[in-house]
Amino acid sequence: MFTKTKMATALLGLAVSVSGVAQAADLVIAGRDDLMGRALEQSVAAYQAEHPDMDIELLKLPYGSLYEKLVIGMREGDSSFDLVMIDDTWATEFMSQGWLAELNEDRVSQDFIPALTDISRYPVGQGPLYSLPVVGNVAMFAYRSDLMDEPETWSDVIAQGTQLHTAERSGVVFRGTQGNPIVTGFLPMLWAYGGNIVDGDGAVNFDSPETVAAIRDFVSLREIAPRGIEVYNSGEVRDAIQQNKAAMAIEVWPSWVPTMDDPELSQVVNQVEIIPPPGEVNASTPMLGVWQMGVSANAENAVAAEDFLAYFTSADNQRELTLSLGLPPTRSSVYSDAEVVDTYRWYPNQLNALRQGAPRPRINAWQELESIMGDYLQLALLGRITPEQAAQQAHQRMAAAL
Amino acid sequence: MFRSGWQPALLLAPALLLLALLTLYPIAYSFVLAFTDAEYQSDALTFVGWANFNTLLNDWFFQQATWNTVRFTVSASVVQVGLGLVLALLFARPFPGRQWFLPLFIYPMMLSTLVCASIWKAWMHYDFGWLNNLFDAVGLSRQPWLSDPALALWSIVLVDTWQWTPMAFLILLAGLQGIPQDIEEAATLEGATPWQQFWHIRLPLLRPYLFLALLLRSIDTFKLFDKVYVLTGGGPAFATETLSLMAYKQGFKFFNLGAASAIAVIMLAIALVLSLAYAWQVMRRPS
Repeated sequence: MFTKTKMATALLGLAVSVSGVAQAADLVIAGRDDLMGRALEQSVAAYQAEHPDMDIELLKLPYGSLYEKLVIGMREGDSSFDLVMIDDTWATEFMSQGWLAELNEDRVSQDFIPALTDISRYPVGQGPLYSLPVVGNVAMFAYRSDLMDEPETWSDVIAQGTQLHTAERSGVVFRGTQGNPIVTGFLPMLWAYGGNIVDGDGAVNFDSPETVAAIRDFVSLREIAPRGIEVYNSGEVRDAIQQNKAAMAIEVWPSWVPTMDDPELSQVVNQVEIIPPPGEVNASTPMLGVWQMGVSANAENAVAAEDFLAYFTSADNQRELTLSLGLPPTRSSVYSDAEVVDTYRWYPNQLNALRQGAPRPRINAWQELESIMGDYLQLALLGRITPEQAAQQAHQRMAAAL
Repeated sequence: MFRSGWQPALLLAPALLLLALLTLYPIAYSFVLAFTDAEYQSDALTFVGWANFNTLLNDWFFQQATWNTVRFTVSASVVQVGLGLVLALLFARPFPGRQWFLPLFIYPMMLSTLVCASIWKAWMHYDFGWLNNLFDAVGLSRQPWLSDPALALWSIVLVDTWQWTPMAFLILLAGLQGIPQDIEEAATLEGATPWQQFWHIRLPLLRPYLFLALLLRSIDTFKLFDKVYVLTGGGPAFATETLSLMAYKQGFKFFNLGAASAIAVIMLAIALVLSLAYAWQVMRRPS
């Protein structure tokens, strides 16, 4: 009996001590995996070297899981996370619901690219600052400068792509996978043709002659794309351009291409130019895909969270992360650093694209609208419906969803 | 054994409470949500009657996802149990190296589904994939395994068959090894051919195991999610979208809890019909 009691007490003590350890972190960060996860990990290690007594817990999650965990946690008022990483398309939802705390403006440097801090505010560009841009992602366009001239319009892309298309090397490559991938490839084209998803009042405005023209030309790209483009995602696009299998990639993100000039991984060293996407009726409108970080409104360690965020987004740390991992910075000064530009020769173009860039529509239901658009775009890409039907049916469905 | 009637109930209570909390409550709440327009952020529930079901049943995307799910469930389960039976018959008799081949055959089942799907995605790549390189080598034309809407679902059936046939195989092998030797010996003495022995002895005695394998594989294939998520994302052109994937998108991507719950309720109803049909087959008395 005595032995059993002692064992039970020991187990209880162990359980209490284990749960105590789990709650003892001085700062809990929820962020992305992959490249962004490695950047967070590296920064946490460097920050801890300066703050040796601080216990930081870092949770690295894939895109979908991060969104689910954050939305469910924030909605329930959970205080598990102090500092959270969010995609810019989630920002409106997080900020309008009051899930993020206002940041101290006095600590925010003027060095951040203004277009990026604009979307860290709610309402955009005017309201208080709820987050800081941490990854300067913007949709760029890649073309083989040894094979062709810089395309200035999408019509030019189709014309040159048709000439260059062979059995061994496609004219273009893009992400054709249903959902978010196909939409992000298409949006810069839609904007260039003068189309829009929602109007200034937030009402759906997709069914227009401009949209139909953009879809028609987007669908025509399939003829000069690799077979199986309908399931291409970022990995396939990067491989196609780096392995000399495509002359142009209509959508590349800076975090995909740091190895473009690495002779061990790329067959096209110094042969690929990365530029803002072409225009058509409108001038080039690169699409922003910025990742932001904000302090949870329920954070138990808000001061520590804001302090780490300041460290993570400091010019020195961004420069280090860019040089060591290829993480796209969000500060103008890092883009003009000589060593950075020497390593990534397309960074001046990237800075221009970030300055000219436009975010995706700032609406709470963006995920659903994007999915609807992706479904109809792929049906059009495969010839199951006409561009007119795609524009009309997607419009109706998006309007119903809103 | 028990001094009073309430003691067994008391012992069962924690398990029943857990079951009620973790299974019955979510199911009941899903039923409630299925009849509401649930505003996730504000927690507001508006009763909408059958509207979610009406919308779904008249929606081309839902119809397509249902049709894909049914086709996948039936074809994958039947193929896996059929192949499992062939393998079980081969392995029921001793042959040299049997102990080495057995672990090899069940190896795919031990892989994580995400790993398995990622491997097959690389194998099925149109330009660089091992499968098309093999087709080239034997003079066959390359196949757009995952990008052709007519082929994509069958490619996923192939992947699922590769991974889960071993499960059916192990169930049927256990069934075969449970058949008393003397029945087969008596049949041999009576002059029954191997085919007659299979058709009149082994197959009838294997019937419960066949239905068990079919039941387990049908339930698993009916909720197909992860392979589709990795291999095609539901595309191309909705050719591989399944009910699970659709429910996931509605529930956890768009937080449309009413629509997601309605899909879950429809899935539950279909799964219940399947299970009852199999249970009736397994439990009815042999003729």
